[in-house]
Amino acid sequence: MRYSKKAARLTALAAGLTLVVTACGDDGGGGGGGGGSSDGLDGKEFTVGSKEFTEQKILGQIAILALEDAGASVEDQTGIEGTANVRTALESDEIDMYWEYTGTGWVDILGNTTGDAAKDPQELFDAVAEQDLAKNKVRWIAKSSANDTYAFATSQEKSDELGVTTLSQYAELVNSDPESASMCAAAEFLDREDGFPGVEETYGFDLPDAQITELDLEIIYTALPKSDPCIFGEVFESAGQIPANELVVLEDDKQFFPGYEVAMTVNDTVLADSPELEDVLTPIAEKLTTEDLQAMNAQVDVEGLPEEAVAQQWLEDNDLIG
Amino acid sequence: MSTTSDQIKATGVTSGAALDAGPRGRRSLAGYLFMPVVLALVLLLTYISVSRRDKDPTESKRLAFDYIVARTVEHLELTGASTVIVLAVAIPVGILLTRSFARRVTPFAIALFNIGQAVPTIGLLLIFAIVWRLGFEPTVVALAAYTTLPVLRNTMVGLTQVDAAVIESARGMGMTKLAVLTRIELPLAVPVIMAGLRTALTINVGTATLGAFVGAGGLGILIVSGFSSNHPYVTIIGGILVAVLALLVDYLAGIAEDVLRPRGL
Repeated sequence: MRYSKKAARLTALAAGLTLVVTACGDDGGGGGGGGGSSDGLDGKEFTVGSKEFTEQKILGQIAILALEDAGASVEDQTGIEGTANVRTALESDEIDMYWEYTGTGWVDILGNTTGDAAKDPQELFDAVAEQDLAKNKVRWIAKSSANDTYAFATSQEKSDELGVTTLSQYAELVNSDPESASMCAAAEFLDREDGFPGVEETYGFDLPDAQITELDLEIIYTALPKSDPCIFGEVFESAGQIPANELVVLEDDKQFFPGYEVAMTVNDTVLADSPELEDVLTPIAEKLTTEDLQAMNAQVDVEGLPEEAVAQQWLEDNDLIG
Repeated sequence: MSTTSDQIKATGVTSGAALDAGPRGRRSLAGYLFMPVVLALVLLLTYISVSRRDKDPTESKRLAFDYIVARTVEHLELTGASTVIVLAVAIPVGILLTRSFARRVTPFAIALFNIGQAVPTIGLLLIFAIVWRLGFEPTVVALAAYTTLPVLRNTMVGLTQVDAAVIESARGMGMTKLAVLTRIELPLAVPVIMAGLRTALTINVGTATLGAFVGAGGLGILIVSGFSSNHPYVTIIGGILVAVLALLVDYLAGIAEDVLRPRGL
């Protein structure tokens, strides 16, 4: 923890210095260039951040490429370790924006509980946006329907064999035949109230400890196709390994998990200076789906393509940059 | 024998471990009691701290007495099983490699076991997870691969340090090669072999925490869980328990070493 904080401070310092330097440079250039532009973001400068995992880096690149396409010059600060650090960078103006998830905003950042979260994605977004602006002067814009929620998954074969496609059916299976309902999960999911304990309570089952294998999240995706040591597992719904390993995601039919939909968080003053940001980012968010995220994550995690190329391709395929 | 000894040294195997096991007298009663008393005190303080703490749901679950006992048993099973494999592999191979007929293959064999120790255990575990499976068996094999070298090395050093004159006189008295091995060489090598085993056991207790990443359980679960759900207290308790276990196992192996050492050495 101490190391990452120190690293964050160093990053912050470096980012701060860069901003000062670029700001000074801008004064000279801005005076000469002048001219009102029709494309909105000409001559504007932004710093885009992201968290450290693949999906976040891809999303960060999408924002960078789109803003550059609209005429802005953008500094790349993607890949900051952990929600807490990237959020601190945003609130202290070291970065101007990054993509966040509504559920993370509601629980992690604003300190609410899962139980209080609105079931309707738009309501959750509105509530998060309102609270975050009032408390922290952070604006939430460009909400997409792409959802990176917790989910349960199993192999196609086991789903067919056991007839389980929803969490209610999984609960029935646990209550009738716990041996066939064995579960792989990472420590965090087993500990979080918006994780396994909450699912058990909502769906009314109690999986015996002997049927739970606790392990690292990333290797669950490779264990599930083999159904060894567990038949079901905790996953992130937008993970690229889901299509790559032909996994079936169980439907959360009682809507226990809050939505973790992707939206852009922007510093309030930055958005006030450049309201055109919303015009650039909203069309992107409207096009982005969970399946798109899965496909792009797979291209990076499974095929090994660079994030920037994947982001560029997606923007071009959807006619979002010209 | 001295040529084999030179060869071992030439392949980079030092007899440094042999120095650790240098002859020393059996300890006094106070000497035997010191470590268990210290460890019991640490456990008692830990117990008091945990039981008096105002615990949230995560801490209550992870620090429940039964839960910790179950994880400790898993941890000991991992350590014990891998140590049995190490013993079954390292000592026979160590004996074979010090026989004069094996002189040519010795450097290659040692290089092979060196690889076992050079490959990071976590890497081996993840490779096993992909090509083999998760859980108890691959973790035991990965731990054994990592700790075979110190026992093998000490077996070889222990056997080659036996005075050549002693072996020659035994042969002169008409003992067979097998009798020389079992009645002269092995007993004289016990202190060094045991020192290697002690090292292996202690390393195994620490490394077995990695089992938490691949579904093998153990006390590593507490460390990982505390870290990933931001409960440093749980991580610290896990760390303390692993350390106590490692010191306890080392202490017990030390007693075994004293008991097994031939009289007069």
